[in-house]
Amino acid sequence: MVGKAALLIGEITHARREWQECGAILKLKEYPDGSREEFVSKCRNGDFDDVTVIYRSNDSNKITGNFNKELVDALPDSLKFICHNGAGYDNIDIEACTRRGISVSSTPVAVNDATADIAIFLMLGALRRITSSFQSVRQGNWRGSNFQLGHDPKNKVFGILGMGGIGSAVATRARAFGMKIQYHNRHQLPSNEEGGAEYVSFKELLETSDVLSLNLSLNPSTKHIISKPQFDMMKEGVVVINTARGPLIDEAALVEAMKSGKVWSVGVDVYEEEPKIHLGLLENENVVLLPHIGTATFETQRDMELLVLENLKDAVQYGRLKTQVLEQKYRKNEDDRWLRNH
Amino acid sequence: MTKPKVLLLGVIDHAHESWNSLSSLAELIEPASRSRAGFLDECRSGKLDGVVAAYRTFASVNITGLFDEELVKVLPESLRFICHNGAGYDQVDVQACTDRGIRVSNVPTAVDDATADVNMFLILGALRGFNTSMIALRDGKWRGHPPPPLGHDPEGKTLGILGMGGIGRNLKKKAEAFGMKVIYYNRNKLSDELAGGAEYVSFEKLLSSSDVISFNLPLNKTTRHLISTREFEKMKKGVVIVNTARGAIIDEDALVKALDNGHVWSCGLDVYEEEPKVHPGLVANPHVMLVPHMGTWTVETQTAMEDWNIGNIRAVLEKGKLNNIVPEQADM
Repeated sequence: MVGKAALLIGEITHARREWQECGAILKLKEYPDGSREEFVSKCRNGDFDDVTVIYRSNDSNKITGNFNKELVDALPDSLKFICHNGAGYDNIDIEACTRRGISVSSTPVAVNDATADIAIFLMLGALRRITSSFQSVRQGNWRGSNFQLGHDPKNKVFGILGMGGIGSAVATRARAFGMKIQYHNRHQLPSNEEGGAEYVSFKELLETSDVLSLNLSLNPSTKHIISKPQFDMMKEGVVVINTARGPLIDEAALVEAMKSGKVWSVGVDVYEEEPKIHLGLLENENVVLLPHIGTATFETQRDMELLVLENLKDAVQYGRLKTQVLEQKYRKNEDDRWLRNH
Repeated sequence: MTKPKVLLLGVIDHAHESWNSLSSLAELIEPASRSRAGFLDECRSGKLDGVVAAYRTFASVNITGLFDEELVKVLPESLRFICHNGAGYDQVDVQACTDRGIRVSNVPTAVDDATADVNMFLILGALRGFNTSMIALRDGKWRGHPPPPLGHDPEGKTLGILGMGGIGRNLKKKAEAFGMKVIYYNRNKLSDELAGGAEYVSFEKLLSSSDVISFNLPLNKTTRHLISTREFEKMKKGVVIVNTARGAIIDEDALVKALDNGHVWSCGLDVYEEEPKVHPGLVANPHVMLVPHMGTWTVETQTAMEDWNIGNIRAVLEKGKLNNIVPEQADM
């Protein structure tokens, strides 16, 4: 493996030792901080000409910006693999990578439990409109003047949009609270993977869910999948949970739907233009807001870093990735179904 | 024959129809006084004679004060039943009632889900350390500078449940959905069926081997300050404490000290020793999760609780006995 290098963009915090151990099979280079311009010019100057695999840390976007076509095209010819730390990879142009012969991996599964945990926390908090209570206790006002009766999750209909790994983990938890689970995916899951959840159309999901949880990935076709027409179809008093990606929801339409009373409460970890938050949410005491910390635990952060390194090692040792992104592993046929690529 | 009287202490918020339908069986009255002294006078003066049963709420303590020995002793002779709208009935001196032949009921079961829901919410909030992030976000600082410390996943952690009654068992099922392993301590070991696979351990073992400890036991003379300095010292370093039962079970000052020295990593509380007063050491700690005693505060559960309590009043009027009685009076 003489001459082959791995480039770490950003930080590794919990698996430094395991990263150092990769030094046995690769030269290790690091780009812990800097700017997009500096990064691109280093690429063009040949600084990374021996790099075959990139470890793209979760926070590297603020260093290099999006891995869009412009940046991907500037990457060295030697680069064959991008191992991304994150379940969501909407900030990477996968098609541009595929065209350059670059394979990309993400970190599914490792994120499932922590993200599902936060979704349930947000649901329980939203059902209790808990924020004003948090604030009044801290201000020494006990229950304050906005103390309201909440709602029990028991016997309510919990609708999941996107029944992937995270959606299934959310379903398992919601079921334990006595909720009836229904979901919509572009295609129904095999019955042994549904866990008793009922498959419904997108329309029915919107029209009949008491709590709606977004657990689908963001891509050009799912941006604003929830907007005014969708809010209009929802039940009066619905509770909306989003731990996936902010741009799935038209945030301004969400604020309007709350004003009209259509949406009773909201629990979100992600925002359309994060870290900027629509004032209509930020100033609303009836909603629960978290700053995109779905996987912010010691255990899950370490698991994610280790998974990226496993992808990195598999890439170098076997020429393939452990958790390659779906869009590269499969292609769509005429019926919009995934078929494995060879 | 005149109808018996039923005394309402506190407010009915939801089950108005149900309450009013009792008027065919009894005269429904309320005390004229809004203070303890006034209430005691009303009792002594005979104004409440003929009252057979009292429906009391948790909040009515603001009018009558605690149903302690002093008060129970002056209740009218006719009063044979106290129906308390709540699972915890520590406001009522049951021994004093037993001494006067007064039977007491509470509201079990209807409270289980809502209380366990808030309990699980606090476990997640404390383990994940969400409070600092929520405060930073609302302050316009996104995650804050420096960003908040990472939290912990519940998966694989040991949850020690102190008190495996209805609420404790309800919590167990929810916690297991998050991958937690449940051990418990109860005055008596549960049957295998009821325990559902949870391991029964001694009180000491629960303290020393739990990653998260949840309090789900009643407050009484033996459980007041059950947890104090010595007990915190026996716990794992970094333990998370969650209390939705009664504040006085925990020595709040000792808890604050244990938080400050890092022995307790975080806590989630719905109840406090002297609520509505909250220890300033808790309020000042951004790493803990605090809510104001609202475990059962939902439309559905409050309605179900009122229905149950009214049901006990109705049972007394129709059958002369309660549908359920507090455990201390099981032999009455």
